[in-house]
Amino acid sequence: MSLRGSAQWIAAILAGLGLACLVVRWNTRRQVVLGQDDTLWRITYQARFQATRAGAKLRVSIPSDTPSARVYRQDVLYTGLSAERLRSGRTMAREMLLVAAAPGQHTVTGRFDVHLSPAGRWKTAQADSALTPQERDEALRATAAYPLDNPAIQETLASLKEGLPAGAEPARRIFEFCSSQISAGGGDAPHDAVTAIRQRYASPLGRARAMVALCRAGKVPARLLTGFAVLEAERLELRFCVEARVGGRWVPYDPARALSGQLPHNFVPVRRDGAEVVRGTDIAALETSFHIARLPAGPGASRLGHGHWLGIFDLTRLPLEMHDLLAVVLLLPLGALVTAFFRTVVGLRTFGTFTPTLLALSFVYADLFTGLLTLGAVLAIGLTSRAWLDRLKLLLVPRLSVMLTLVVLSIVLLVSVLDYVGLTPSAQAVILPMVILTMMIERFYLTAEEDSPAFAAQLLGTTLIVGACCYGILRWEAVGRFVFAFPEVHLLTVAALILLGRYSGYRLNELWRFGDVARPKE
Amino acid sequence: MGPLSWLWAARPRDLRRAGILGMNRRNGHYILPRNPRRHYPRVDDKLITKRICEAHGIAVPRTYWVVERLGDIPQLATELRQYADFVIKPSRGAEGRGIVVVARHDGQSYTTSGGQTLTAGDLRYHLENVLSGLYSLGGQLDRAIVEQRIVPHEAFAHIAVDGTPDVRIILYRGVPVMAMVRLPTRASRGKANLHQGAVAAAVDLRTGRTFGGVCRDRAVSAHPDTRRPVAGVQVPSWPRVIDAAMKLAEALEMGYVGVDFVLDAQLGPVVLEANARPGLAIQIANRQGLLPRLAYIDSAGPGELTRQRRMELLDSLPGLG
Repeated sequence: MSLRGSAQWIAAILAGLGLACLVVRWNTRRQVVLGQDDTLWRITYQARFQATRAGAKLRVSIPSDTPSARVYRQDVLYTGLSAERLRSGRTMAREMLLVAAAPGQHTVTGRFDVHLSPAGRWKTAQADSALTPQERDEALRATAAYPLDNPAIQETLASLKEGLPAGAEPARRIFEFCSSQISAGGGDAPHDAVTAIRQRYASPLGRARAMVALCRAGKVPARLLTGFAVLEAERLELRFCVEARVGGRWVPYDPARALSGQLPHNFVPVRRDGAEVVRGTDIAALETSFHIARLPAGPGASRLGHGHWLGIFDLTRLPLEMHDLLAVVLLLPLGALVTAFFRTVVGLRTFGTFTPTLLALSFVYADLFTGLLTLGAVLAIGLTSRAWLDRLKLLLVPRLSVMLTLVVLSIVLLVSVLDYVGLTPSAQAVILPMVILTMMIERFYLTAEEDSPAFAAQLLGTTLIVGACCYGILRWEAVGRFVFAFPEVHLLTVAALILLGRYSGYRLNELWRFGDVARPKE
Repeated sequence: MGPLSWLWAARPRDLRRAGILGMNRRNGHYILPRNPRRHYPRVDDKLITKRICEAHGIAVPRTYWVVERLGDIPQLATELRQYADFVIKPSRGAEGRGIVVVARHDGQSYTTSGGQTLTAGDLRYHLENVLSGLYSLGGQLDRAIVEQRIVPHEAFAHIAVDGTPDVRIILYRGVPVMAMVRLPTRASRGKANLHQGAVAAAVDLRTGRTFGGVCRDRAVSAHPDTRRPVAGVQVPSWPRVIDAAMKLAEALEMGYVGVDFVLDAQLGPVVLEANARPGLAIQIANRQGLLPRLAYIDSAGPGELTRQRRMELLDSLPGLG
């Protein structure tokens, strides 16, 4: 078989294999057989607010995982805002920060799909991990919500500690007091700890705050735990529980429902040490509502338990924080495919093979305006300093290293300047590929010197055009999500690359280049 | 055909009909299968090419000095004191990058063929850059060759400006298939590189006379600076050029190769370098495609071609005047 024939066969086999995997997995994922008693739910947040100035910030706490609940998909929709990436701290609380570009009315919608499994089969961060001094301080701190020196708190604590052996923790007695001695009130009942303790009457939030205040006053680290109980309901109400550090671990309590030690499997925590799930600075007229709906079994919900080796192929089982990153990484081969297409079929030359793709990748993480401004400025600073460096007659490697340092400094300073003059809603990290940029500046300079500035500018232009196309692909969220769910589609990418690698037809630019020779003479 | 006809693209079938070899086909059908990777150093490293030429009795510019290490550079003045003029080139350079032609010097200041004056420090810095791999393929560490400066043959004096013209012959399976002469212009800053604006004229493989002409991928008939016709000029010692090219292609064991010659006033044709990925503009200069000639040679069968068979194929190549 000829080389060309075998390459086509291999491409066909890879494409067939990729399509077969895709079809099989697509069908199995659509007919996900959930574990017994497992259910899927969609929690929806709606938030409307008025930004009073540009740079107003909105913080949105996001449902987090428990052994019985796993958030397997997340969409946050907004306009006129820029978002910092999902982040999670030691407490495993997830949070998103949205920044308004201009004052005015804004709407944010968050959709979170949750897989509930009463069997509790997911591993999560351990509740008994060691407490850092900082965490301990925070969980014992007196605040406006927890005025620990208030006489009502101190007197109640003293009476609860009566008869308690020395050194024994009062958490259990405090919990019993808050769940049985403070009577339950509705939304109009007091929400604050002191009134709840004085009047022995409070809302669920007031009872939970009373427990946190009494625990902290009794030197037991405690914090409010806000979340949702996932169940069929018209509107989803927040639930307020308490986590107290007892016996070296965080023990959950729900004073409103007299539950301790373990919360119901359908409780999904959203925020620790705070009651508001959506809050912000420089905002007004904030309205939030939460809704819930049950979902049919579908893609993303994991069928296999943790530990089953076939789970390796299901990337959606990975923590949500990794989804965005891996989705972008998985789009890189498509960027390479675009570059290969431009070079092989169109005939565009670029500075470096993967420079366009890597530039595009860095822009995915940056605000486009900030990114372009920084790129332009870095190129200008880089080329000026490269011309200046030429006079010093430095050896290649030290010279490139000086250039790299200047590029790094330019990027960092520019981000700082942009933030200072308020040109960008937030000084989001513009981590342009610095080594690639350094090499590009060096090549641009040499090409301009040895060929012509026009030719160097042409190469820069084609690099940016190909980069812009790669950027379009990398920003395509739907494609990213699809490739993340079905990474086997890259067998098709490899097949396409093999076919491109064996493409022997004319490049588009050759139709012009050889036009004079090839056009039929009249 | 109007004056702006070049604005319109040809159709792929027009290119196929004209037998134009495209970049993808050149790479996939000729270079990849015919040029073994292990032999690339023979063409990519000019020192190795020179040694092969010397071993086969093919004329090359005389080597004055090879700078292997940074530590050699301080001896620049001592090593080159005895030579009135010389050329510095990176051993693994591409597209003529990093070449400095020194026309005269006094050991302190060096004047290039383009009239630029360089200090000894400038020259040392240039050598350091060459050794660091600034001009080498893939940025690998390199060596610098200091060699005899070619005094261009007067045959092309009226159509070469500020530099030395060269002759390129493309050989397929050891048979010369197309040739051109590249003529420097002011736009190309004295370099015989077509993408920098040099002019090319086709060379008739049988007679060694120039015809046609191309500049920046467009057909031209006169040199843009001197306005003299580029066609009808005889390349001196043409049979020697053809003979040396065939010998070198055989020695390099590369199936698809370009060999570049310069014509020295005293030595005649000398090999400047060989190229495993010769460009395709030669087709525009010849106003003919390469494909019919390559296919004709392939029709001779897959086995190795004897010298005599190659000469026969050369004589009967399609499209020759």
